Amino acid sequence: MIWQEIINGISIGGVYALIAVGYSLVYSVLNFSNFAHGEVLMIGAYIGFYALTALRFPFWLAIALSIVLGGVVAITLEKIGYRPLRLRKAPTLYFMISAMGLSIFLQNFTLVTIGPNFRTYPEVFSFDPFEIGSLSIGSLDLIIFVTTAFCLGLLTWFIYKTKLGVAIQAAAYNMRVASLMGINPDLVVSIVFFMAGASAGIAGVMFGMKYTVYPWMGSLTIKAFIAAVVGGLGSLPGAVLGAFILGVTETFAAAFVSSAFRDLFSFALMIFIIILRPGGLMGVVVKEKA
Amino acid sequence: MSVYVQGILFLSCINLIAVLGLSLLTGFTGSFNFGQAGFLAIGAYAATLMTVKVHAPFAVALVTGMLASGLVSILLGYPTLRLKGDYFAIATLGFAEAVRLLIENLEKVTGGSRGIPSIPTKTSLGTLVPVTLAIVWVMRNYIASRHGRNCVAVREDETAAQAIAVNVFRYKQISFFVNGLLAGLSGGFMAHYVGFIQPSMFGIQKSTELIVMVIFGGMHSITGSVLSAVVLTSLPEVLRAAAAWRLVMYGAAVVFIMVVRPEGLLGSWELNIRSIKAMYRGASQFFRHLYLRAFHGTA
Amino acid sequence: MELLSIQNLSKNFGGVKAVDAFNCSLPKGKIQAVIGPNGAGKTTIFNLITGIYSPSQGAIRFDGHDITGQAPHLIARRGIARTFQNIRLFPDFSVLENIQTAGHLRADYGVLAGFVPTPRRIRQEREIRDHAQSLLELVGLEDRAGELARNLPYGHQRRLEIARALALDPQLLLLDEPAAGMNPDETQKMVEFIHQIKEQFALTILLIEHHMEVVMELSDFITVIDFGKIIAAGTPDQVQADPLVIEAYLGVGA
Repeated sequence: MIWQEIINGISIGGVYALIAVGYSLVYSVLNFSNFAHGEVLMIGAYIGFYALTALRFPFWLAIALSIVLGGVVAITLEKIGYRPLRLRKAPTLYFMISAMGLSIFLQNFTLVTIGPNFRTYPEVFSFDPFEIGSLSIGSLDLIIFVTTAFCLGLLTWFIYKTKLGVAIQAAAYNMRVASLMGINPDLVVSIVFFMAGASAGIAGVMFGMKYTVYPWMGSLTIKAFIAAVVGGLGSLPGAVLGAFILGVTETFAAAFVSSAFRDLFSFALMIFIIILRPGGLMGVVVKEKA
Repeated sequence: MSVYVQGILFLSCINLIAVLGLSLLTGFTGSFNFGQAGFLAIGAYAATLMTVKVHAPFAVALVTGMLASGLVSILLGYPTLRLKGDYFAIATLGFAEAVRLLIENLEKVTGGSRGIPSIPTKTSLGTLVPVTLAIVWVMRNYIASRHGRNCVAVREDETAAQAIAVNVFRYKQISFFVNGLLAGLSGGFMAHYVGFIQPSMFGIQKSTELIVMVIFGGMHSITGSVLSAVVLTSLPEVLRAAAAWRLVMYGAAVVFIMVVRPEGLLGSWELNIRSIKAMYRGASQFFRHLYLRAFHGTA
Repeated sequence: MELLSIQNLSKNFGGVKAVDAFNCSLPKGKIQAVIGPNGAGKTTIFNLITGIYSPSQGAIRFDGHDITGQAPHLIARRGIARTFQNIRLFPDFSVLENIQTAGHLRADYGVLAGFVPTPRRIRQEREIRDHAQSLLELVGLEDRAGELARNLPYGHQRRLEIARALALDPQLLLLDEPAAGMNPDETQKMVEFIHQIKEQFALTILLIEHHMEVVMELSDFITVIDFGKIIAAGTPDQVQADPLVIEAYLGVGA
């Protein structure tokens, strides 16, 4: 049943990849880890859930809603919690603390208003699983994989093939110089956060569909961080690679050791990579200009 | 003193000890420790096992808790302290979760998720308060010393600190170790005050509360830590009805502080002879001004 | 004997050779300037000397010891102090505290004395404070001792950074663009100041600077760098006349 586990691993890896890419994107432009990223995922998951159940929207509309609102929420968080710090050139520590504050606020606000109950998405797709030999690939897994692959492709196209995407790359490299070249840093930051939020929103829906929705889903962001670190912080392809590696190895650890140790394993993997190869598998180790 | 006020005093001191360690590590040295609860847990469980299983004297149990937590911080420090800030924060978070998971799974030793009940309540105000005051005094001294300045240099600019011959790793290690000792002590005191321990007491909620205390009063001020430990420990008791909303408000408060006044309430201000004199001077000038105005119509 | 001796120093970043076979031989008490266009690798050389980067090739000897690739704080301890191109003061510290912090080498009381004061600590702290005070007077900042470093005007910040470097009692001082952003009047004062501290503290100085007047007035030797490589070296007169230098850096008709 190794292959079955691999398929599970790839499935969750795709979700991790979406989160990790958004996370890495923000990191590469603003040079800090957005600990509140996971909460956008959580909000996206809830939005999708309510869109499908309470509002009875068709699936495509629910997804579109969580994408757009995910992006909007992310931008709002940026304006409230990070922009003032950015303008003041605050040290990274302050960004991290502010992110922590946003995360705690959103998590607990959801907890208090909506309640701690786990929600399950209604079954949207009820196709039979695909059979390939002795393997069965659930239709849900397939949908998730296709969706994440599509989103990643879209993101890649945007970043590497469009003018705005190149502007973002320039800003990621050196924000100050980019602004001197006429690139509006606020705009770049907003776009980056929108993309990160949108991909987190969709990841939330995917995760909600496969598993459940609960207020502290946001802690998945840790997995995204680990994935980004394993692949190389600041490298988008690295984030994707790291996410799939994490997804697969973690699934194996859960299946063949114990599910309680799944998270422990992920941390151990991260520490292992950090010690052996701090730049990650594909990372660029950028030394600060002294 | 009413039982109610006593309770607040107990908890304030217990929290303050942990907050002082965190203040040194995160506030003064700039290493964001998101996993303080993990060290509390180690101290609490180590001390408890000493009193409950080995029937050791309380002082020995407390010291064991401190040393256990301190030792773990040294071991954890080697792979993590050289990392960038975010890596370190996540590593400490992972550490705290790992500790909690381990405690939950080593049922034979730790009682698993049900924890250890019926711990002898040996923490008394007679021991706790003097110890806490002594720690405040000791930490104040450290911050005022050349070592304290070196810690701040590490926080402000690691490259510049190295250029003035400060061994950045060593100072982070010392701060991490001291934090480990203090957190372990706090955990030991807490276990023997509350009377039982469970892994759920040492989750991310606890780590968050402690970080908020450090930020609220002033990341760069020991006096601020004392103030916020007392205020933020009393507040939940006062606002018991709104307990569920407490963390919501904490989160909002953290963001608010970072955006509006990241130095916290007191910034780097410390209560010491100099500042008391300054306050005295300011106050007497103010009253002199009032007196002249009132009785002579001039200022 | 040379105080600082650098042989065949090279540094690669990925595929880019930032420094290529740099050599230097600096006797005690002399001032050497390293000049070249922006991005030529000058600050990288400083970073290699002070241990922030490890060389890909080559060796650095200071005062008879091999310091190649040593940790920065140990190199600073040996007696090499520096300033930075983008001023790196401790922003949340006061002016006095910035210098006091660098004075920690004058004390040796341990961590335990940090927690519980001893007479030795009290005595040493007083010495550090007095020393820092005298350095403040040297740079004319004594009446701003209590101000936060980040509130100082630019020129004062530069002087403060130099004072902080001097607090290490260094033998070798690395100055990275000390006159950057200064008008001619301030620049002249900086030149005088550098002369003064060199004599007063018996310093050997390695200098990166773009202001040619500063370089010509101060230096005993000049090395010209472009794309990480030495393109000329010698006395100011020799370098000024070198056609390669004129072409690459000083501009036609300089």
